[in-house]
Order: sequence, then structure tokens, then C-alpha cells
Amino acid sequence: MGAVAKAEVFWRSALQGIRHQPFPHAVAVLTLAIALFALGLGRAASDAVDHLLASLGSDVQVTVWLKPEASTAEVDALMASLRGRGFTVRLVTSRAALERLGRELGSTADVLKDLGSDPLPPSLELGVPPGWREAAALRRLAQELQDGPAVGEVDWGEAAVERLGALARALRWGGLFAFAVLLGATVVVVSATLQLAIYARRGEVEIQKLVGATDRFVRAPFLIEGVLQGLTGAALALLGLTLVFHWVAPELQTLFAFLQVPPPSTLWGMRRTLELFGVGAGLGLVGSFLAVGRALRG
Amino acid sequence: MIQMFHVTKSYPGDPPVLTDVNLTVEKGEFVFLTGPSGAGKTTLLRLVFCDEKPTRGQILVGGRNVARIRAASVPYLRRNIGVVFQDFKLLANRSVLDNVAFTLDVLGTPRSESRERVLRMLKLVGLQHKAESLPQKLSGGEQQRVVIARALVNDPTILLADEPTGNLDPGLTLEILDLLCEVNVRGTTVVVATHDATLLERYQKRVIRLERGRVVADTAQVQAVRRTG
Repeated sequence: MGAVAKAEVFWRSALQGIRHQPFPHAVAVLTLAIALFALGLGRAASDAVDHLLASLGSDVQVTVWLKPEASTAEVDALMASLRGRGFTVRLVTSRAALERLGRELGSTADVLKDLGSDPLPPSLELGVPPGWREAAALRRLAQELQDGPAVGEVDWGEAAVERLGALARALRWGGLFAFAVLLGATVVVVSATLQLAIYARRGEVEIQKLVGATDRFVRAPFLIEGVLQGLTGAALALLGLTLVFHWVAPELQTLFAFLQVPPPSTLWGMRRTLELFGVGAGLGLVGSFLAVGRALRG
Repeated sequence: MIQMFHVTKSYPGDPPVLTDVNLTVEKGEFVFLTGPSGAGKTTLLRLVFCDEKPTRGQILVGGRNVARIRAASVPYLRRNIGVVFQDFKLLANRSVLDNVAFTLDVLGTPRSESRERVLRMLKLVGLQHKAESLPQKLSGGEQQRVVIARALVNDPTILLADEPTGNLDPGLTLEILDLLCEVNVRGTTVVVATHDATLLERYQKRVIRLERGRVVADTAQVQAVRRTG
């Protein structure tokens, strides 16, 4: 007999299951919606933290002090090499450095007049691209540049970069751990809730097995129901998140304005929406699979 | 069709439910399985459709040793065995038609073909006019006929009925037994567990009597002895 006929049976059975047992299904959908709402909030918060770290990371600057005797050709080659790796490079000549120092000294700039011409070495100021904003990478780069013929010294703000890296690592691992705990708890709760729905239909399962249904056949409609519940739960969670982004987030943003995090609605795009529906469908599927597995073993 | 060799079934901590049972049911036979409550009738039927496994002994169903069958093969075996219970086991929120079609759904029968076969089967059991009714709207006898239709709709070779008339009044009991006899005449092997002695007298079929888990009488053997004697 055909797969199409079986698929039709599975879908019909799944929809009949939802129609005949609306209450357990409503509870399952609500549980999924709450879990997905929490996961969505966590994701939005994680995006905000990533944005915050990126904005802090963009302040990381590397200064490459050039040897006064370095030739123009050597400096040009070094600048081309750095630009090729994604760094923004700004050449600060000795004269420009002296002028900048004069501006910074303000009214006491007169002391510079006694110095000989161009006492400060020329330098390259590098804007660091995201992939290089780690202490290890910058240490390697500094070592490499140091060994070059045109470079006298490299200053990359080691302490600041290491603190920023440690903060980013802590936030990422913490976020990952919280996400794993929340996901695990969600699977357990969802599977327990779905088991209620399956328990309400144990008679149907018993009869199916009696008339020769394989475990796969018994399981299939419940898996479809799980996916449908997950998608419905995701839709409800998205509705909740949209309300939060439009009503609550602006208030929080005003409160924490110093963090300069953009509104979550601008960080939450189509990709995050698809992720939410994907996780919803996945949770429904895994929850159903575990629940119906327990029912079949019982 | 069904053969049992030295079958024993026991549960830990309890005396055996069945002890050293040997019997053969031929293809197309109609057999009553009788005995007092707790004699082991239901357990014997459950062993045949693989709801339980024997503790010892071999059971052949259609030539296949179900005592050693893999769990994954059980559903395929059950598709050849129709089962009828005293408590009907019907889905209350599905129509008669959907309840009977359940068996064909499992086989992936297309809906149009399934509907046709179900209606034919409902006609056989005299319920074609109740196809769209819900089970609770039917009498006990009608519900049992729906169960029989469900058990037979995929043309199984064996029909097992466990006290199929236990909840029915005498008039409906005879109606159901007549239906089972009709099914048997069409070629299905029928095994009916009952403790109703009046049925055994009335229908004059082969009777296997169980007491405390042992076969204590089998009219087939008596008849065989009479024939050879």
C-alpha cells in the first residue's frame, strides 16, 4: 500500500487527535509558547550582548611605532600587508604626531618649542577587524610586526584586550550554559505535557497495536502533532516577543541608555524568526518522540 | 493453524497460569475454549496474538513460532489475527465507520477503498445503516458487532474472541454467536473463550476445557477416540 495513503492517514489521525483532545493540546502549545518566548528573549539578549561586545571591541587599537630610518617603500609594503588582512591603517608622521601632542597639551604646548624637529617617531594606527580582537591573535601579530625591518615597537593594549576577551568568553559560555539548561528543561516539560495528550489517547494506541500497527505507524501522527504544536507555540511566542520589543524594550533602553545597545526589534530579523519556528518544530518533534516512546514502552 | 507444545506461562511469585498445554486447532475450525474464571483462557488467547510470551514451550501460528518472534514482527503477525474483547475497545469519539476503518488505516489502505470494504463488512454484520453513528449510541450487541467487523475487515485467517458475549443479554448472545459461526463458514478459524455452558450445548462445536491452567478435556480427542474405536 502506498506511502501517500499512509501519509494521508497520519495527517488525518493527527488532526483528529487535536480536534478530539483540544485541552491537552492547548496545554502543550501554551507550554511550548512560554518556553520559546523565554528562549527568544534569551536570544535577543544574547544579540544585544554581542552587539555591545562588538562596539567595545571596535575601540581596540594597535599602534605600530616605526623606526625613524624606515624607508618609504618598507612602510608602504607594511601598510599594504595590513590592509590586505582587513585592518584599517592610518599613517601618523613624526610631524603629525608632534602637532597632535601640541593640541593635547593645549596652553602648555610651548614646552615643545625647545625640542628639536620631529622628536616623535612616525607610527601606524590600526583599526582591528572583529576576527583579530583577541589577545592571542594580537600577540601573534605584534610579534610578527616586531620582527619586521621597519617596526620599532608595537603597542596593542594587552591588558584591555585580555579583559575584554575574558568578558566576552564569560558571557558566551554563560549564555550557552543558560541556553542548554533552558532547552533541556523545555524538552522535559514539553515531553511531559505531550505525554498527557498521548495518555488521553492510550485507548487509540492500544487498538492500533491490537490491529497490527507498527511502532512507527503509532508514532507518526503524534510526531506530526508535536511539530504542529511547536509551530503554533512559536507563532504565539513571536507574538509575545513582538509585544515586548514594542512596549517593554524601549523603556529598558532608556533606562540603560549608557550601554548604547540598539532596539531589539532592529536586531531581530527574519533569520531569528525562522530560528524560532525551527526550534519550536524541533522541540515539538523531540518532545513527542520521547513521550510516545514512553507510551509505547509502557 | 494454531499449535501449542508444552506451553507454560507463569509470572514471578505466582503459580503458573498455564501448565504444559498441548493443543492443535486446524485451519477453518471453530473451537470453544472454556473453563472457570482464572482457568487461563484469556492468557492462552493473549499468547496466540503475541500480547504475552510463554515462559516455556512453543506456539506455532500459521506455521510460525511466535514464542521466538521478534518484537518488530509482532504487528505483521497480528494483521492475520482478528481479536474481539468483552469490553469492545471501541473509540468513543469516532464513528462506527472510522472504528472499523482503523484496521485498514494501519495497512495504508486508500480511503476510498477502505470505505467500500468497511461498508461491505458492516453490511455483513447488519450495521450498514449505523455507519456514521458513534459507538455510545449503539446497543451492546451492536457494539460487539462493530468490534467483529473491525476484527474481520482485513480478512484475517484467525479470529480470537475473548468472552465476546459476556456483557450481552441472551438474545444478543445468540446473535453474536450466529455471526461468528457465519464467519467460520466463510473459512476463518475461530476460537471463542467463554464460560457460558449453554452456548457449548447449543452450538455443538469442539470444546477445549481448561482448569487451573491445564487442558482437562478436549472434545476433538474424544471424537477421535470414538472414530478409531
